[in-house]
Amino acid sequence: MPEALLAARAVTVRFGGLVAVDGVDLEARHGELVGLIGPNGAGKTTLFHALSGVLAPDAGRLLVAGEDLTGSAPHVFAAHGVARTFQMPRVFRDMSAEDNVRFALQFAGRTRRHAHDAFDDARTILGFLGLGAASAVAAGALTPARQRLLEIGMALGARPRVLLLDEIAAGLTPAELETCAQLIRRVRDELGVAVIWIEHAVRVLMSHVERVAVLHQGRKIADGDPRAVAKDAAVIEAYLGEEGVGSEGGRERRVA
Amino acid sequence: MGFWLELAASGLITGGIYAVVAIGLNLQYGLMRIMNISHGEFLMLGAYLTWLAHTTFGVNPFALMPAVAAALFLLGLVVYRFCFYRIARTAPSVEVIEARSLLVGFGLMFLVQNVVYLAWGADLRGYSYLAEPVEIAGARFMANRLAVFAFAVAASLLLLALLRWTMIGKAVRAMMQSPTGAQLVGIDTGVLHPLVFGGGLALAGVAGGLLSMVYEISPSMGEPYTITALIVITLGGLGSVGGSLIGGFILGLVEAFGMHFTSPSLKMVLSYGVLVAVLLARPRGLFSR
Repeated sequence: MPEALLAARAVTVRFGGLVAVDGVDLEARHGELVGLIGPNGAGKTTLFHALSGVLAPDAGRLLVAGEDLTGSAPHVFAAHGVARTFQMPRVFRDMSAEDNVRFALQFAGRTRRHAHDAFDDARTILGFLGLGAASAVAAGALTPARQRLLEIGMALGARPRVLLLDEIAAGLTPAELETCAQLIRRVRDELGVAVIWIEHAVRVLMSHVERVAVLHQGRKIADGDPRAVAKDAAVIEAYLGEEGVGSEGGRERRVA
Repeated sequence: MGFWLELAASGLITGGIYAVVAIGLNLQYGLMRIMNISHGEFLMLGAYLTWLAHTTFGVNPFALMPAVAAALFLLGLVVYRFCFYRIARTAPSVEVIEARSLLVGFGLMFLVQNVVYLAWGADLRGYSYLAEPVEIAGARFMANRLAVFAFAVAASLLLLALLRWTMIGKAVRAMMQSPTGAQLVGIDTGVLHPLVFGGGLALAGVAGGLLSMVYEISPSMGEPYTITALIVITLGGLGSVGGSLIGGFILGLVEAFGMHFTSPSLKMVLSYGVLVAVLLARPRGLFSR
């Protein structure tokens, strides 16, 4: 089995008395597409904050390609190939879309060479994301959905080995959602980037990922094949009262 | 005609100095949310350094400006490391950085001012440099003021160009727009923060050096410039360097014309009047988007 590109080992994040992430183990291997789901407040985004250095964990360790980066600043994670997006995009609003991506290429992307051409040119990256026509538009003037796409572009500009996507499909129509999922697969298939993907549209996510981890109240309650996880009693329990796993389409209904 | 030209020119000349001071403070505040209330004291230090080196060694004050900038830059690195580094590292939020840096700034203000009182006393100091009149289009100007104005504008434009076209300038702009985003594209705050803080003090020092060529200097000269710089930053927009440049000129002109039509003793009233008007009409600054 290949070494994990990104590994969280017993990571805990506390906010005062609240334990937001509680001893979670999570791994992403080379070229793997991993889903991360859980009810609201389960600690998914907080775990991403820890995985990208935005928040230092209170306990546990973070390994990037075997190197211990626990407690390092976000730019160190970026330099080691961990890139991410935010639910509320952190784009450079006054700069053009192209400049936003070029920035990532110039700073984090500068230190590494990657085989794929898409990483070498801001316009190619924007084209790949379907933002080619918007390259001269100020990032702040794009719709929130397109700002999220642009953020993927910035992340790709950093020549990542692991990409963390935080609800990039929020607010999309079902058709757009499918396109977005296809795009994520292309990032993985064509660029060989490992992806960890948080999304509330559980059914779509489950149909595209090879592995899914489930967080509930800060703890990881399941991790494995999506079909097995969907039948897991603890997972169904966690989702009851909110939404049954895979119930959005109304076709696969599973109640314990 | 000549009179109005002289009045406008005097406003623009003061405005040029305001711009340099304000850009320095704006970099510190816009990038790190460090509210450095002791900014004017470093302007005063720059003025004393220039005065000292000019009167002792007879060096041309303009030729001294790079050395003054370098000295204040290095001092800035030290001040950042010992006064603001821990605040930036340990504060849970940017609001806390603002509040704590304000207190530290007050302390620094008293410290720096009183060290200069101890060293050179409270007397006004000064020297005469290029104090000869020049006539342009029927208006008479002092040569030193024109030179100071040209230098202040050139320094501001040079800084704008650096921010626009160099890697470090781009990193600074990126960090002003989205601190977290900047870190995630690989920009290192640990390097950038002290550099920009030092750069801010270097600008204050240059502004002080320029002032020493046209006015007399004293240990308490800095404070009013801190306040003026705050007004200019508000006028031009937090984090907008171009806004500070134009804001400096606007405030200089308002003061020059306002004092002519009312009374020189109303200078601060005019400045605050501009501030209040801008806060009412465009709370995020004249040039914010």
